[in-house]
Amino acid sequence: MTDRFEIHQDPVLGEQVLLARTSSGLPVRVVPTDRFTEVAAVITFGYGSTDLGFQRNGEEHRSPEGVAHYLEHKLFEDEELQAFDRFAKRGARVNAMTGFGQTTYYFTATDQLEANLQDLLHLVSNAHITPDNVEKERGIIAQEIRMYEDSPDYRGFFDFLGCLYREHPVRHPVGGTVESIAEITDEELLACFDAFYRTGNAGMAVAGPVDPDQILDLAEACTLREGAAPERLSPRDLGPVTTPSFRRSFDVARSRVLLGYKDRSLLDTSEERLRRDLLSRILLDSLFGASSDLRETLRLQGLVDDTLGASYMSEADFGVTAVGCECEEPETVIERLQDVMLDAASSPIQVEHLDRVGRMVLGSYVRSFASVKGMAFSHAKEALRGTRPFQSLVRMNSITIDDLVSRRSEHFVEDAFAAVVVEKDASDPIR
Amino acid sequence: MGEVFAGFRKSEVEGVPVLWLPDDRFKTFRIILAARRPLDETAAARSLLPSLLMQGTANYPDRPALARQMERLYGASVAPSTGKVGEAHVLRFFVDCVAGQFLPDQPDQLADGLGFLSEFLVRPRLEGDGYPKVAFERERLQAGHDARAIFDDRGAYASQQALSLACEGEPMAIPEHGGVEAIEALDRAAPEQAREDFLRHGELLVTAMGALPDGDAFTEHIAKFLRDLPERQAQEVPPPVARSVEGRRSSIERVDLQQSKMVLVFRLPPTDDPTVWMGRALFNSMLGGGPHSRLFREVREKRSLAYYAQAALDRHKSLLMVHVGLDEAASADVESETLRQIDLLAAGDFSAEELQTARAGVLSMIATLTDGIRSHMQFVEDQWNLGLDRTPEDLARNYAAITSEIVQGSVDGLQLDYSFLLAPSGQADD
Repeated sequence: MTDRFEIHQDPVLGEQVLLARTSSGLPVRVVPTDRFTEVAAVITFGYGSTDLGFQRNGEEHRSPEGVAHYLEHKLFEDEELQAFDRFAKRGARVNAMTGFGQTTYYFTATDQLEANLQDLLHLVSNAHITPDNVEKERGIIAQEIRMYEDSPDYRGFFDFLGCLYREHPVRHPVGGTVESIAEITDEELLACFDAFYRTGNAGMAVAGPVDPDQILDLAEACTLREGAAPERLSPRDLGPVTTPSFRRSFDVARSRVLLGYKDRSLLDTSEERLRRDLLSRILLDSLFGASSDLRETLRLQGLVDDTLGASYMSEADFGVTAVGCECEEPETVIERLQDVMLDAASSPIQVEHLDRVGRMVLGSYVRSFASVKGMAFSHAKEALRGTRPFQSLVRMNSITIDDLVSRRSEHFVEDAFAAVVVEKDASDPIR
Repeated sequence: MGEVFAGFRKSEVEGVPVLWLPDDRFKTFRIILAARRPLDETAAARSLLPSLLMQGTANYPDRPALARQMERLYGASVAPSTGKVGEAHVLRFFVDCVAGQFLPDQPDQLADGLGFLSEFLVRPRLEGDGYPKVAFERERLQAGHDARAIFDDRGAYASQQALSLACEGEPMAIPEHGGVEAIEALDRAAPEQAREDFLRHGELLVTAMGALPDGDAFTEHIAKFLRDLPERQAQEVPPPVARSVEGRRSSIERVDLQQSKMVLVFRLPPTDDPTVWMGRALFNSMLGGGPHSRLFREVREKRSLAYYAQAALDRHKSLLMVHVGLDEAASADVESETLRQIDLLAAGDFSAEELQTARAGVLSMIATLTDGIRSHMQFVEDQWNLGLDRTPEDLARNYAAITSEIVQGSVDGLQLDYSFLLAPSGQADD
């Protein structure tokens, strides 16, 4: 191994990750380990479904909903074969996913690393997009959208985001709608590809039995365009919610509720956001986690069941807590869950709980070294964000009860709250 | 070196076969006690068992107490679970922990984890001959809700309906949860009787892997864990029911949905011959095992007839199932194209490159089996149940020798038994 890398060692197990940046500015992380047979390679871009507007050279560009997802589909096609075929011939599994803030491409393989990585990097660096092949994909994507729309949880989730956000594109389904994708053209896809598929808007990581220098050489050779992402035209949608409640009629066997809060403030750095993310998760675990007495009380009262789940998700320009479950009495459940979130006195955060969360985080940290895929994904995301590796325990150890109390009072506020019911015969199926 | 099975060490502890592999690549360990019984009308009672056991034990009286103990064990997973495997019902007790040597003060996670697991195994919280009445009623109600809620996942619902219709009158038709009616008819003593039955008459097997101690230290821990089991007289799980196909059957169910789901259920002649099954696995891969397959390329990419089209084998029941998400209007075309592709492949109309691609995928999957504790343990448990003493390396060598002729011959007798379509309501059926 040469001095091309900055070496970081984890404080618990002594595992290493090597950091570098190509001459064109692509951040690369490598986790060389001979413990596994498989190699996982991931490249992620800071471009997702919420990137519907940008400005470059003084010109504004607006996109239809679903364009990032459409582009992800199209990058798997080039002049020769379907890319899937080439990877399959080498016994490799390749795939991609589009989220709110990122699009991620990856493969896992046990053989022919060089060919697989060259191919993955080629796919994301070159768009073979024509009017014909864009048209051909439209029907397949429409089918995918319809499949998601058959899911009551999916419909309820975007109803919920629509209640929280008036303008922010997070309110739109990641894949768009059948109507919005009808507007997507080859020029649109090429414009977005040119804007966002850039070395300065990406993070790459490879984990497994690999030679770090070879990985860096292959990354150096890729033709991904240099430069940063353009200025994003994303609305600062931090005001009160659009509407505090919504009911959807859907042919479901059981009603479900989804409720929660939006963040009313944004943070400047990735590290600050990661800390807020951790605080939110601990808070939700103390209220609704498996060991929570409150959860058990609600369950014994017959209000909630084991489908009760709580999560926090965020990107640079939004943050949302979502709590949901299947239930028999949606109105009562919403009222009760909102009460417990707002009423800090009735469910104080215990020091003992923080201690147990600390143990769980340590256990989870040790487990994170058990999968090359998991390691490659987390390091690629960190590379994109530019955060230091192996900080989760440091972050955890810095959390205090006061931090949690303050996060609770800042986040759980009345006008940042919305609730959605999905039920068989909703009385007012608006929207 | 003592006895070895499928690359794992083999011991017999307290009359139970134990297959285990210390592996210092991992920082965690996983131990499973599995008990197999035939899938039958007691499925509802058996499936309710895990949630009742998780209500509390003699030493951890409620769910928060159990959850807190798992958190204290550094986020351990310790739980009972049940699953349907072909026409067998399997009860598993598993513990998955970070090993103590990687934690502050090096706690004895193996002893603590197994001790906690035995709470579920031999110290359930009972009242008389059953689980506490309130808990039983609540969990039975919940199980009924869960069974009905499968409808809310249209793909899963379509698969369940297709199997129950295709295999009507066979144990395979029984859903893992036992069915809503059976759940509602359960009496309070039934789940505990099911637990006793699993432990007294089930085919038991312990598998373990990961950061485990070497030598006698491990088997001593296991002996302590198994010592409290009731007296046992294991009964064999019979082979699955085989039925001949008497022509294609079909049905359409109409519900509120946008994308129709088609499930084609094919039957294959039952066989224990591992070579035939390797041929079938390669056939399945070429037919619908991924983006390289005929169904993906011909049905989705070339003809845009479906969003997804996949094939899967059920070795335990000798079934091949094709799952398709499509517009209802395309259903006849999709079925005929699927049958055409099956006929072509069965007639040997595939290239060496196609076979090589299928083989590369299977070999890659086998090569990564040993990278994960779960996947490697599942492989070894499967080999044990099949009576095949082979390692992943053996399996890879065997796959390398499978010829086109073997692939062709492996699907002799493949027949479409049932075509099920879940389609939007408001349409007229032919």
